[in-house]
Amino acid sequence: MRAFWSLLAVAALVLVGLAGAAAAGGRVILALAVPYAAFAVFLGGFCWRVVRWSRAPVPFRIPVTCGQQKSLPWIRSSRIDNPFTVPAVVVRMAGEVLLFRSLFRNNRARLAGERLVLGENKYLWLGSLAFHWSLLMILLRHLRLFMEPVPALVNRLEQLDGFFQLGAPPIYLSDIALLASLGYLIVRRFRDPMVRYISLFTDYFALLLLLGIAGTGMLMRYYLRADIVSVKQLALSIAAFHPVVPSALSPVFLVHLLLVSTLAAYFPFSKLMHAGGVFLSPTRNLANNSRSRRHVNPWNYPVKTHPYAEWEEEFREKLKEAGIPLEAEHAGNARTD
Amino acid sequence: MTDAPIAAPVPGSSLTEAIAERWVSLSMNSWPGAARPFLSEEKDPFRNPIGSTVRRNLHILAREVLGGMQEASVAPALDALVRLHAVQDLSPGDAVRFVFDLRTAIRERAGTVPETMHARIDSLALMAFSQYARCREQIFELRLREIRFRAECATR
Amino acid sequence: MPGTLVQIESKPPRGDWTDPHVEFRKGSICYSAAPKNLEYLGLPNPRVWQPLDADWKLPPDWKRILLEGMKDRLKKYRSFRLFMEICVRCGACADKCHFYLGSADPKNMPVMRAELMRSVYRRYFTLTGRLFGALAGARELTEDVVKEWFYYFYQCTECRRCSVFCPYGIDTAEITMMGRELLNLIGCNTNWILEPAANCFRMGNHLGIQPHGFKDSIDFAAEEASEITGLKIEVPIQRKGAEVLFVMPSADYFASPHYYTLLGYLMLFHEIGLDYTVSAYASEGGNFGLFSSHEMMKRLNAKIYEEARRLGVKWILGGECGHMWRVLHQYMDTMNGPADFLEVPVSPMTGTVFENTRSTKMVHICEFTADLIHHGRLRLDPSRNDHWNVTYHDSCNPARGMGLLEEPRYILNSVSRHFHEMPENTIREQTFCCGSGAGLGTDENLEMRLRGGFPRANAVKYVKEKYGVNLLTCICAIDKATLPTLLEYWVPGVEVAGVHELLGNALVMTGEKERTADLRGEPFAPARESEALHA
Repeated sequence: MRAFWSLLAVAALVLVGLAGAAAAGGRVILALAVPYAAFAVFLGGFCWRVVRWSRAPVPFRIPVTCGQQKSLPWIRSSRIDNPFTVPAVVVRMAGEVLLFRSLFRNNRARLAGERLVLGENKYLWLGSLAFHWSLLMILLRHLRLFMEPVPALVNRLEQLDGFFQLGAPPIYLSDIALLASLGYLIVRRFRDPMVRYISLFTDYFALLLLLGIAGTGMLMRYYLRADIVSVKQLALSIAAFHPVVPSALSPVFLVHLLLVSTLAAYFPFSKLMHAGGVFLSPTRNLANNSRSRRHVNPWNYPVKTHPYAEWEEEFREKLKEAGIPLEAEHAGNARTD
Repeated sequence: MTDAPIAAPVPGSSLTEAIAERWVSLSMNSWPGAARPFLSEEKDPFRNPIGSTVRRNLHILAREVLGGMQEASVAPALDALVRLHAVQDLSPGDAVRFVFDLRTAIRERAGTVPETMHARIDSLALMAFSQYARCREQIFELRLREIRFRAECATR
Repeated sequence: MPGTLVQIESKPPRGDWTDPHVEFRKGSICYSAAPKNLEYLGLPNPRVWQPLDADWKLPPDWKRILLEGMKDRLKKYRSFRLFMEICVRCGACADKCHFYLGSADPKNMPVMRAELMRSVYRRYFTLTGRLFGALAGARELTEDVVKEWFYYFYQCTECRRCSVFCPYGIDTAEITMMGRELLNLIGCNTNWILEPAANCFRMGNHLGIQPHGFKDSIDFAAEEASEITGLKIEVPIQRKGAEVLFVMPSADYFASPHYYTLLGYLMLFHEIGLDYTVSAYASEGGNFGLFSSHEMMKRLNAKIYEEARRLGVKWILGGECGHMWRVLHQYMDTMNGPADFLEVPVSPMTGTVFENTRSTKMVHICEFTADLIHHGRLRLDPSRNDHWNVTYHDSCNPARGMGLLEEPRYILNSVSRHFHEMPENTIREQTFCCGSGAGLGTDENLEMRLRGGFPRANAVKYVKEKYGVNLLTCICAIDKATLPTLLEYWVPGVEVAGVHELLGNALVMTGEKERTADLRGEPFAPARESEALHA
């Protein structure tokens, strides 16, 4: 049901895009107003969320340790999975952010008869890694639309991405990887009973929106060739804050742009913020050195305790009888029998 | 006990395996709906201890009921299953109903349920019930022991 | 057809998780806290009630209290705010929880446990949740939700196993701790947690043993250790000017099999001539505050530093205990430090400076003992443990909140000759909880504990069948208290012991009389026979 609503929402967006493309006023709104607004919401929202997180204090040092601690010099410690120093934390975080270390841990090899089989969770790692990296690749490739001259790095990336020279225009590897991994992530949401049980509207919506973006993008590249000159004209003018709407923008492009804008505006209000949050997670980005360096809690406040003097007072007779040394032996409190 | 049951279900034969597999999936109905697919799909015994215990022991029981019905193999397998059910939020009926699912599994995979099978399944059911009662009793004994220990501490 | 008849009593499949209704059953819940304990600790809403009652007698403005409590904590804990917002529901954690694996209840998936609270967070603290309600995954906070929280937050042992696998490190223990703090605000707490907390606050230890009882127990253990070794072993209590204050979980001197571990400590300290003392005031290392609120944790923990300061010791040594070490390692210094009145711990026997404890000044006994063995300061006869085939259960908190993995293994390999690891995905940072931690280890909760402990027992059973393991060692007082029950049900024939019990068996003491039996009084394996057995 939640998946159905998400599909409906994405379909509605596509229809809005197509309808807007048909009307002259709609084209200006879709090509200029919506992207500007969406980008503003994205930037503002993203910053607001990150600032709000970073302003919340980290009162305790609570890393989850995934390996041997640094204790005695002759015991080999697990420097990255149980970091003791800040550089080690940086390496641990790099592993998390770039390679999805924890998700990889999920994998396990098992023997089915004589065969070594990879568990489903290994595929989850592979799928999400492929998804995120190909998305990054595609984003970088899009830089060519916003920059003149095109940076050499972007050209190199494109060459690398189209390395196999399959088809004309050459198919990008990142496109295939993105489609395949998105497909996997969607199918997994439906097929894996546990994941289906926990999935919310937003989980399906984000995936379907991304699928819509990838679909329209590839449609423009491989089938309904978009007028790349007009697109670049628009992109450059938007980037330079001198907006001009070229007349040759195709409906598919406008739909693509609308979906991208929706994603950008939706981003700060959704789980997609994990992109920023992963850097701030206190169970991962702190060194496990709490016994060696004192961690300060900014809001530490005094609490009601049971001080020794009160305790001794309460159990004075019993302490005496047991022969446990007392602190206050003064006569007033001693037995006067 | 070697009286020949259904069309020569040699232990380990594909028919026995098919019946056992069917039995596994039928017996999963005792569990909450959302749990079933996971319990029956995940094969790693340390990631899915319930599912693998159920599967392993139902296979043993199926082989025994269809084959030699050796007490030495039946008792531990039945115990493992009932022990598992006895700690769940299952009614006593649900905890032992898996035994009767074997009848359905045989009928569906082999066509008919021979008379000897009926008798064996019935005795299996009785054994399961006794074992269930023993497990519950043990749980209460363990509980009592912990309470007693606490009382001892309080009076020391 | 018999199937249809039985079908009638079969449990209906659960539908959507957003339905908060929970059926409370005996065996799967802990009873409520007695009013006297709440009153003693000054906690809100003391009253007579039980989770099985329909009316929980919540305060009239319970909803406001909960929401304000949430708001307050969202501001104070980055972990809480972050974990409410960044989960993508990838499902990597789903099958990592021992309660889920042992009960197959889908709301025991860690992600789901957190969603129970996230859904309320979305409804009251996010724009999308307020606007779109259920479509945005938001739920109203109702009394049924409070009951559901109670059921599932007291069905989590804060073991952090799920967090190891989460790509963002979302820690269900943090969420459970927040959930319990909130429930405490409206007086929904369990007696098994608050009674030990109240006892510890008043008397100094969970069991409520008064100072003379403490002395009796310690003296009794010292006498028994003397009898076993033929040496005169004494334990100084609250002796000022000792070098080291030794703090252990109270179960060590009051429960079995913990007691044998205590004998092991005492023998070790005597043998190396450690200048130490124990205290009746700080007679508890464990901290049930960890299971109710950060504030309670701080209140109970304060004694350790206070007593160390009063006695004028140089540093503190801590015994075998799991959650005690989570508090000592990750919280104590921040909460009740700085310990600038103590000195950086140095082993008086080996001269080793414990650099890793430079600030907190508290050393784990396994670190201490491993260092002694490494420097050859102990004479050990591992054959005295030949009657045990040993495996080691990593206790959750030392494993995932500290990383104390190799020290106990080093000791075990030095004191026994037959050590076998359980399968890799059930030990070290992936260790399975005993299912009774975080204040769930009570008898009324036994069925739930047996479910939660099933994955652990399953791994023990494997090594029992494969290597003939008959002893499970661990370094946690809750493990020692609850694993014997667990193993008796699931894997009969496997006993439970602390690491220092085996050390006590193997330790050859200067001038000891000839020993023929271990600390439990069980005879050592005859030399020749044991050679043959394990050749």
